[in-house]
Amino acid sequence: MVFIMSVNFHPRKLVKKTLETFYGLGAQTSARIMAKYSIHPLARLETVPPKTITSLTAELSTMTIDNDARRLVQDNIQRLRDMGTYRGRRHAMGLPVRGQKTRNQIVTARKLNILERGGGDRPMGS
Amino acid sequence: MAAPNCWRCLARPSQRLLAPTSTSSSLAVPVTTATFSTSARLAKKEGGGLSSHVRTGKKLVLGRKKKQDPGKPVLPGERKAFRKRIQLSNDNALEVPGLAQVTAATLVDPAAAGKIVGLPDALIDQLRTVEAFKPTQNWGLFRSPHMLVRQETVDLIKDMTDKVQKKQTVRTVITGERGSGKSILGLQVLSAGLLNKWVVINIPEAQELSTAHTDYSPIPKSEMFSHPTYILKLMQAIYSANKDILSKLQVGLEHIHLPFSVPRSMSLAALANATKEPDFAWPTFHALWQELLLPGRPPIMFNLDGLSHMMRVSDYRNPAFELIHCHDLALLRLFADALGGKTQFPNGAAITGVMTKGNCPKLPSVDMALEQAAAAQAGTEIPARDPFYRKYDDRVFDALKGVSVFNVKGVSKPEARALMEYWAASGVLRMRVDEKNVSEKWTLAGSGVLGEMERASLYVVRL
Repeated sequence: MVFIMSVNFHPRKLVKKTLETFYGLGAQTSARIMAKYSIHPLARLETVPPKTITSLTAELSTMTIDNDARRLVQDNIQRLRDMGTYRGRRHAMGLPVRGQKTRNQIVTARKLNILERGGGDRPMGS
Repeated sequence: MAAPNCWRCLARPSQRLLAPTSTSSSLAVPVTTATFSTSARLAKKEGGGLSSHVRTGKKLVLGRKKKQDPGKPVLPGERKAFRKRIQLSNDNALEVPGLAQVTAATLVDPAAAGKIVGLPDALIDQLRTVEAFKPTQNWGLFRSPHMLVRQETVDLIKDMTDKVQKKQTVRTVITGERGSGKSILGLQVLSAGLLNKWVVINIPEAQELSTAHTDYSPIPKSEMFSHPTYILKLMQAIYSANKDILSKLQVGLEHIHLPFSVPRSMSLAALANATKEPDFAWPTFHALWQELLLPGRPPIMFNLDGLSHMMRVSDYRNPAFELIHCHDLALLRLFADALGGKTQFPNGAAITGVMTKGNCPKLPSVDMALEQAAAAQAGTEIPARDPFYRKYDDRVFDALKGVSVFNVKGVSKPEARALMEYWAASGVLRMRVDEKNVSEKWTLAGSGVLGEMERASLYVVRL
């Protein structure tokens, strides 16, 4: 098992996929991080030397990702809600925020516009 | 007399149970209920006990699907290993008697042109270790590996060996149509190198190094990148293919930068085999290369297949997230310098790059550089670059400066006949090999393009 940011990963997992499991870290950022440490795109965790894994963890800990990133988004929504704005209310109701029609096709809004956006916190060590 | 129930209730007696219309008459009710009660059906169900469905017998009943045992799951890498397997013999094919084994003299003998020769076992092992055989070639159709010595083979190898014996460097690019036998010619060049006891280094597929499928790492204090795992594998191949030659050579330079001690008594074979650590792969390989360049060593044969793949910008990225040019990857830089004439070989060397046409990136620089090299070789006017095309890559022109371009074309008719006779004798070609059939296949194959001849004749039996 390989630990990155105190999360446990299978050694056969692709490094790219591993990095992208963190909320707020997508394809662009993962590609850049991997280039920075000279890890090729098809590398698996088992082939990455432990030294690099440590530097990856150090690199990730300086970034606003995962629970921090999630909380940032949730705080922004909460702020709108607390101010009592229209956008805050629409978020709380799970409806489109930016003036779209609501007759049909609001699946994305139902999915995304919630106060707890991005799900709950990642439990430590999982 | 009017019935106590309405006519609708007589027609559909079950309705009556749901909505009794009249309770006034107690006379007719028991009769109707008795006739149409469900108890008869219930009794039948209890007695029969077979199928409960009303439409029994009218339904299409298929046999229940048998759950098959899924067996062992496919292990990682197993499918690729199967796809890339190289089968060099086939017990179902007939043995072809009376064919000579290849020797160093055969490959330069003009009399041997147009003959089929067998590969001796020792040579097969060496060629296999340097990965000269490819999964796309049809070795698995025949009892044992044989190859056709073409006029081109003799011309190329004779020229090469003559020059290398005079301690010159031969820099060749083998090009030609798709399926015309460029890689097989590369294999024949490698066989010549191995039979002449040169130090043979072969990169079987340049694509593996440029498509970012193998690991890479920056080389400290340089702008280059190395392929640690690939270079370790390559050194193993060099060691096993050239063990006899390398074990007789001693280390002649100081290698203080290497992490292990390299005494003067150490053989080059031991040096090639010295490390298993990816971190030290490139320094060790570089030390071995420096040793081979010392005067008094045997000639070097350095081959690379898929030349166009190393003439472009690779898919690797440097820490600044810029794409790395293939010539900044250390191993490919080594080959590019050797092919471009930047490296001096005091003992003579044969540097051969084999183009690929089936799987080839579009590279105007390579096309132009080869056109220019071919024109310079033929002594005609050298074509100028397109003035309106900005993306010419000067590094490609440097790497292909002054190479001799060897264009592989279709085989001649006598060669085609020799080949078809061999196929027929092996039992894979079931037709009379006469003038007419040979001519037909030769024409169908676009004037004897070998790959097309195989397609026209052998693919009926290929699995």
